[in-house]
Amino acid sequence: MKKFISLLAVCAVSVVSLAGCGGSQGSTSSSVDAVEKYGSDTLKLYNWGEYLGEDVISNFEEQFGVDVIVEYFDSNEMMYTKLLSGDSYDVLVPSDYMIERLIKEDRLQKLDLSLIPNMEYLADGVKNLAFDPNNEYSVPYFWGTVGIVYNHNNVPKEVVEEQGYSVLKNTDYKGRIYMYDSERDSFMVALKALGYSMNTENEDEINEAYNWLVELNNTMDPVYVTDEVIDNMAGGAMDMAVVYSGDAAYILSENEDMSYSMPAEGTNIWVDSMVIPKNAENPKLAHEFINYILSYDASYDNSSTVGYASTNKEVLADMSGEGGEYEGNEAYLPRENYEKDEVFNDNEVLRQMLSELWIKVKASQ
Amino acid sequence: MRQFKTMAYPYVVWICLLIVAPMLLILMYAFTTKGNSVTTIQFTFSNFAKFFSDPIFLDVLKRSLIIAVATTIICIILGYPAAYIIANSEGRKKYMLIMLVTIPTWINMLVRTYAWMGMLQDDGLINTILGFLGIGPIKMIHTGFAVILGMVYNFIPFMILQIYTSLTKMDKSLLEAASDLGANKVQAFLRVTLPLSLPGVISGITLVFLPAVSSFFIPKLLGGGQYVLIGNVIENQFLTSGDWNFGSAISLIMAVIIMISMYVTKKLDKGEEMMGGGGK
Repeated sequence: MKKFISLLAVCAVSVVSLAGCGGSQGSTSSSVDAVEKYGSDTLKLYNWGEYLGEDVISNFEEQFGVDVIVEYFDSNEMMYTKLLSGDSYDVLVPSDYMIERLIKEDRLQKLDLSLIPNMEYLADGVKNLAFDPNNEYSVPYFWGTVGIVYNHNNVPKEVVEEQGYSVLKNTDYKGRIYMYDSERDSFMVALKALGYSMNTENEDEINEAYNWLVELNNTMDPVYVTDEVIDNMAGGAMDMAVVYSGDAAYILSENEDMSYSMPAEGTNIWVDSMVIPKNAENPKLAHEFINYILSYDASYDNSSTVGYASTNKEVLADMSGEGGEYEGNEAYLPRENYEKDEVFNDNEVLRQMLSELWIKVKASQ
Repeated sequence: MRQFKTMAYPYVVWICLLIVAPMLLILMYAFTTKGNSVTTIQFTFSNFAKFFSDPIFLDVLKRSLIIAVATTIICIILGYPAAYIIANSEGRKKYMLIMLVTIPTWINMLVRTYAWMGMLQDDGLINTILGFLGIGPIKMIHTGFAVILGMVYNFIPFMILQIYTSLTKMDKSLLEAASDLGANKVQAFLRVTLPLSLPGVISGITLVFLPAVSSFFIPKLLGGGQYVLIGNVIENQFLTSGDWNFGSAISLIMAVIIMISMYVTKKLDKGEEMMGGGGK
């Protein structure tokens, strides 16, 4: 029996220390108050990898006397699968089209906007977007575009501007490109290169895009990456890469040889927003967290560390304005009001076709 | 003895919960579709038809099998001499060598594979050394070479340890008898040592082939997403596409292939034992 008890003790200790790993220190001061105020002192956040400022989480923990457990995903689809399998989180940060789908499937809670006073700082470009017309369910976290980062010493600027997305199929740069390992973004590139809408439901157009990508795969030997692209391009590993604008802003600030291009064929304007799923265990604290992320300091820390455009209009102005951290950085500010740019919609035909076709693109040889 | 039997119950429950139940779920998913708004699930063979009717998936299967076979063969070629040397060394040296083989397996496979990523990089350790020697950078990362290297590196301890065990179990006096009867060292090795160590080689093959054929993170990291193997397709169905039915069907196909290959190796094992003349 003694042995059994000591075994239990060992288990208990390891559970406690595991919990300690997920969260962090600083919850000593007022965790009792937090339980009283919010019903619990733990917040579970499911966020993108490489998406948080250095002190954002620890400051929140200190300020509110709570623990934050952060888990990371690297695609919306992965996040969705995890959510579906029954895992519970308090705050998720999916993209536009995924939020549309989650709303349609009734998996999100309506927000109590009176608990999020910092909404008044929300930038105009991300207000009331089509996927959530009145911001009833979601509060934007970051926004940006998708484009091509290239080493202007090896790939002349004129070539990139002239050829647009087709430069990715220019065999002069065979074996020198990164593609983003995401079905949405890769098909966006192909559909735009072919002059179609990236929200098409036309199967012929999607198949044409599929062939475009297969040809790219077979002639160019691209390497499919996700977040590795950030450090590798900052280190100059390849000549070109399809990246999100924020990653590009970071790469450009680290490596002077790199430039960013939003092709004239149009691109994806995307918004990643914070939402509270129906099965959240701690919605009150979740509102507090959303409000906190939108505050000037947290949003500044996030944007400055990660490089994506802030959704707080004051931060956005300070960052890109004179003397700002990203002044003159061509990737930081999203392109506004360009008619060929689109936001992803959730449509079932596209969704199902893409998920089947993408693995086949990568598997073809 | 009888009272000890009850001690197996927790194990039986454990097995049912963690192995049998998931297997049954996979079986169920593989033969059904998600269904529509009217019925929730429907019985179907379409998941299998989808796999076998698509040349791309068959190509992936072929590629996975080729890479797994290549890995296994290389592991035998490199692992056998290593095991032989270890088995024939003495005292401290022997333990040192065994330690050298097992220590890497104490570290997480993913971490060790990441280390290879760093070394094989175009500007990584190996190319830096080669550059120092005046040999131009060689493209290694994101090639089939890197994938096989990663697999051999990760799985070779299983091969070495299996062969080593069967070599140490061997009765040394058989070798003395062989030389008494006039066999030279090569003959003694070919006629005595090799046949007696084959059971070790065969269990080594099972231990290397199985993880190699279904590995998904080694091709993902070292192959740069270009070397899509069957494990990656399964991973994709579960994590990205969310098509658990198709993913389960592929898993089931793999399970059948693995069972067949295990049956064949077992047959080989039995056949060899009879030929070996009951050396044990």
